[in-house]
Amino acid sequence: MNYLIVGASSGLGRDLAYTLSKNSHNLILISRDKRDLDAMKSDLENKYNTKINSYAVDLASKDSVISFLNNNEIKFSSIDGVLFPIGMMSDNDSITQIKGGIDQINNANFLSIVKFLEKIIPIFKEKKQGTVVGFGSIASSLGREKNMIYSASKRALNSYFESLLATFINSDIKIQFYILGYLDTNLAFDKKLILPKASTKKLSIKIFKNINKSNIREYYPTWWWLISYFISLIPFFVIKKLFKFIK
Amino acid sequence: MFKKKISSLDKSTTVDIFIKRPDKYREIEKFSLNAKNLITMGSHNSYTPASFKRNNLSLIFTKFDRIINFDKLNKTITVEAGIELSNLLNFTLKHKMWLPQIPGYPSITLGGAVAANTHGKSSDTHGTIRNQIKSILIFHKTHGWMKLSDRENKDIFDLTIGGFGLTGTIVNVELELIEINGCNFTTTVEKVTSAKDAVEKLNKRDFTNTFSYSWNKTFNKKHFGEGLIFNNKINDNEKNLPINKMHFKSKNLDKYFVLNFWNKYSIKFFQILYYNYFTFYKNKTDNDNFKNVLFPYSGKEAYFHMYGKKGFIESQLLVPLNKVDIFLDELKHLINIHEPEIVLFSIKKIIGKELFLRFENTGICFTFDFSRNTKNLNFLDKLDILCIKHKLKPSIIKDSRLDSNTIKKCYNDFENFKKNLSEFDNKKVYRSELSDRIGI
Repeated sequence: MNYLIVGASSGLGRDLAYTLSKNSHNLILISRDKRDLDAMKSDLENKYNTKINSYAVDLASKDSVISFLNNNEIKFSSIDGVLFPIGMMSDNDSITQIKGGIDQINNANFLSIVKFLEKIIPIFKEKKQGTVVGFGSIASSLGREKNMIYSASKRALNSYFESLLATFINSDIKIQFYILGYLDTNLAFDKKLILPKASTKKLSIKIFKNINKSNIREYYPTWWWLISYFISLIPFFVIKKLFKFIK
Repeated sequence: MFKKKISSLDKSTTVDIFIKRPDKYREIEKFSLNAKNLITMGSHNSYTPASFKRNNLSLIFTKFDRIINFDKLNKTITVEAGIELSNLLNFTLKHKMWLPQIPGYPSITLGGAVAANTHGKSSDTHGTIRNQIKSILIFHKTHGWMKLSDRENKDIFDLTIGGFGLTGTIVNVELELIEINGCNFTTTVEKVTSAKDAVEKLNKRDFTNTFSYSWNKTFNKKHFGEGLIFNNKINDNEKNLPINKMHFKSKNLDKYFVLNFWNKYSIKFFQILYYNYFTFYKNKTDNDNFKNVLFPYSGKEAYFHMYGKKGFIESQLLVPLNKVDIFLDELKHLINIHEPEIVLFSIKKIIGKELFLRFENTGICFTFDFSRNTKNLNFLDKLDILCIKHKLKPSIIKDSRLDSNTIKKCYNDFENFKKNLSEFDNKKVYRSELSDRIGI
């Protein structure tokens, strides 16, 4: 099988590339920096003898994504599945500090995925099969002062994947969406968090095992479901008090 | 930035540091350029505080562990420096090749091994890791990306091998691999009556495909250094057997027991037990696998924990062949006077050439482990005087007591190293507790 991984060079994307490659799947890797992609391509090919193609695309730039998509249609025809383990955060992601970074965060976390799927879904429809795996964040459960655009774009992605699910519920196009809690990636590495960080390697194995299942919407680690559920039950007046208390 | 309390493995130093863990090339640039001072950290397995400094940034490099190029025909491999040596070997052994200069713990990274110019069990045949290095790619905050080799930036190439990470972050290393016929060993054990007897036997040995080292008792004043020589010979008969991937469980080197287990009674008890086990119980010739021979400390981490909260000191000395006799006589005399509690005493032969601060020359390498207490520290001070007197090399990467004065007098090239490093990086951007202590 051939899989496209968008956001492949670090964190979960990197582990997904290793898990899929180890299980003899060919990959197309997309990430921003050619140096990271070259290192991964060489390592995967040497270790697992699979075929790896890689493309450097700045997913935070709309122009870069559109230009890539318009020039690589042939490559996409061979794809059996696409995974979007991409997440971009900024230390300045708050109402007063964000300034020029809004588009970048929104493009990387949401719009680039929509653009990719705009190209790929018609191919899957024609082939009458395909797997699409997206990744949300627990950060989108509740509005926040920090990582404002990040959480908003992840909430948009959540809604977008719900729509995909609704669209392809009776077809062989499999839509999977994982809502992620804290993971041991560089996004969380230097942050002091109350709850533990889950292993990206274990998650990648879980995703691989589920890859042929249809219509998944899961929290990882699973217990985040409970937290998210309780948050959804909290009435708005309590949330207001909670915000006041935090401030 | 993330602040963390960290201790060296020998527990000599505990400080707060800032850490970052890049996993993209642009992050190496970004984190380095944003820091005033920094140093690179591999698996944090050095006995001494070589990969951190109080309130400074340590770049954890373990995410850079990929194979960049492998040329089976020419037996070369380019690997990112954060790869653990056991993982590197797991790959090369599949192709019947290896890197022989492997220090005793599997999670040590290639970058760490290069920065310390490590030697392995076959130090008498293969010398130090320097002999396998063809080129190095570093990133330096001021100089940016630099390719180093014998043909390109040779002066910095020489400073980097055994340079304790002070020339910048070692990003990848091109290595020349060596063919290996098999991965199982036949281990033979022979008795030695004294340390001198061990040196004599080790010095006469033909080391082709054989790794020899001794284990010596330390409590017997009459027969100082009585003990055993272990010879691990590659078993050619099993060369066609498939090579199993090495797996290692925990890497809990950092832990320690509440109390120090080692005193003169426990040392004597364990040394008698160990000696008798190999003399009377275990076969004189036995089969051993690659993992046990190359990584003797793996699975035996409790040895380090047994030194307790205060930790241990390892003194490793490189004695030129023509000074071994006089060194052993004077060492014995010092031991008789000061009665230190030496937990481990081991001898092996090493070959190589002196340059800068590398623990390298042709001679005999003596290793001693002590618990950290006043009596042992006093003895080690006297041992330093002995080193200065006979110009013996104490290992800088092993012994975190060593001061600038001792190293200056024992390493002929100390000032050259300092001068060349200062010309390359006059702001001393890359610093560690170790580099500050020894004054470079």
